[in-house]
Amino acid sequence: MTLPGRPSILLTVLGSCALAAAPAVAAPLFTAVPAQSSLGFVGTQQGEKFTGAIRDFDARIEYAPDDLATSKLEVAIRLKSMDTKSPDRDQALATADWFDFARFPTATFRTIAIRATPGGPVGDADLTIKGHTKRVAFPFAWKAAAGGATLDARLTLDRLDFGLGAGDWADESMVGRKVDVVVHLTLAATPAKPAKP
Amino acid sequence: MPLRSTATSWGAVTRLFHWGMLLLIIGGISVGLYMTDLPMSPQKLRVYALHKSVGLTLLGLAVLRLLWRLGERRPAAAPMPAWQERAASATHVLLYGLMFAIPLSGWLFNSAAGFPLQWFHLVNLPALVAADPALKVLARTAHGFGVLLLVVISAVHAAAALKHHFIDRDRTLRAMLPLPGDSK
Repeated sequence: MTLPGRPSILLTVLGSCALAAAPAVAAPLFTAVPAQSSLGFVGTQQGEKFTGAIRDFDARIEYAPDDLATSKLEVAIRLKSMDTKSPDRDQALATADWFDFARFPTATFRTIAIRATPGGPVGDADLTIKGHTKRVAFPFAWKAAAGGATLDARLTLDRLDFGLGAGDWADESMVGRKVDVVVHLTLAATPAKPAKP
Repeated sequence: MPLRSTATSWGAVTRLFHWGMLLLIIGGISVGLYMTDLPMSPQKLRVYALHKSVGLTLLGLAVLRLLWRLGERRPAAAPMPAWQERAASATHVLLYGLMFAIPLSGWLFNSAAGFPLQWFHLVNLPALVAADPALKVLARTAHGFGVLLLVVISAVHAAAALKHHFIDRDRTLRAMLPLPGDSK
């Protein structure tokens, strides 16, 4: 269920109209402070864990703990900024066997709904990587702070759900299927909604 | 053949180290030459993993071999001019040094490249250093030159053994050959 490009613009436009009609009910907007935010992952290669960091991403967070209905999390991730502390591995990750940066430069994460659970808020989100969209449960911890908030989350993905290292690379003794994603966002409250072009 | 060396002949353990490591070194170098030009694929990683496992095995064997040698008597050398004795012992020192330096430089190269290191899918070994592109180039160069030096020194070593056997007609080579029944 891949809907890149146009439908998301449509949704955004519709969303903006709705917000324009009723701005008072919207959850407040936050944006990530790049220097104090991190998007990382932990993979396994030949029995050994390695960590990757993705430096270039935009997080647009509308969140109010008491108004989950209008809350949403949206992240656009420029995959080319991925760094796994090994140029050889980074080069391999760029190829069509893995992320295929040339055709799929951006991964997106977008919540469809956020629900309250005893363990904290959980987002039901569509995660799209390499043209594969998967609905994931995204439990996160939200802490209000002066001028903003922090968001921390960890989730485990199966790389084969996204066509990462399919075929010959599916062999788990070389590269593990499970990948832990670790998110830490330092969010600054944004006073007004930025105008949409 | 006795396990330990005698006044005239090397023991079975020493001969096993000598010839066993020779075979592993030839195998390791062959795989090493073959693997670098492979296109990136899981097969390439498997071939690299094999090369690294062989190298780690050789490093472990080098440690054991050195310890064993320190506790062993050495057969008397055949009579030869002093310069040849000096050349022989310099050659042996170099060969021992390279038995350590080559796998260690490979380990360093692997660490500086930020790659995992696993011994035959069984044990993971730690990186010696953090990923470092400049050190990676240096370690790779050292690894390659080490192998080149090893091949040259081994050729000198083998040529000298053959000279002892066919020209001097002494038992220097026979004392190390992997054959039973020649251990008087």
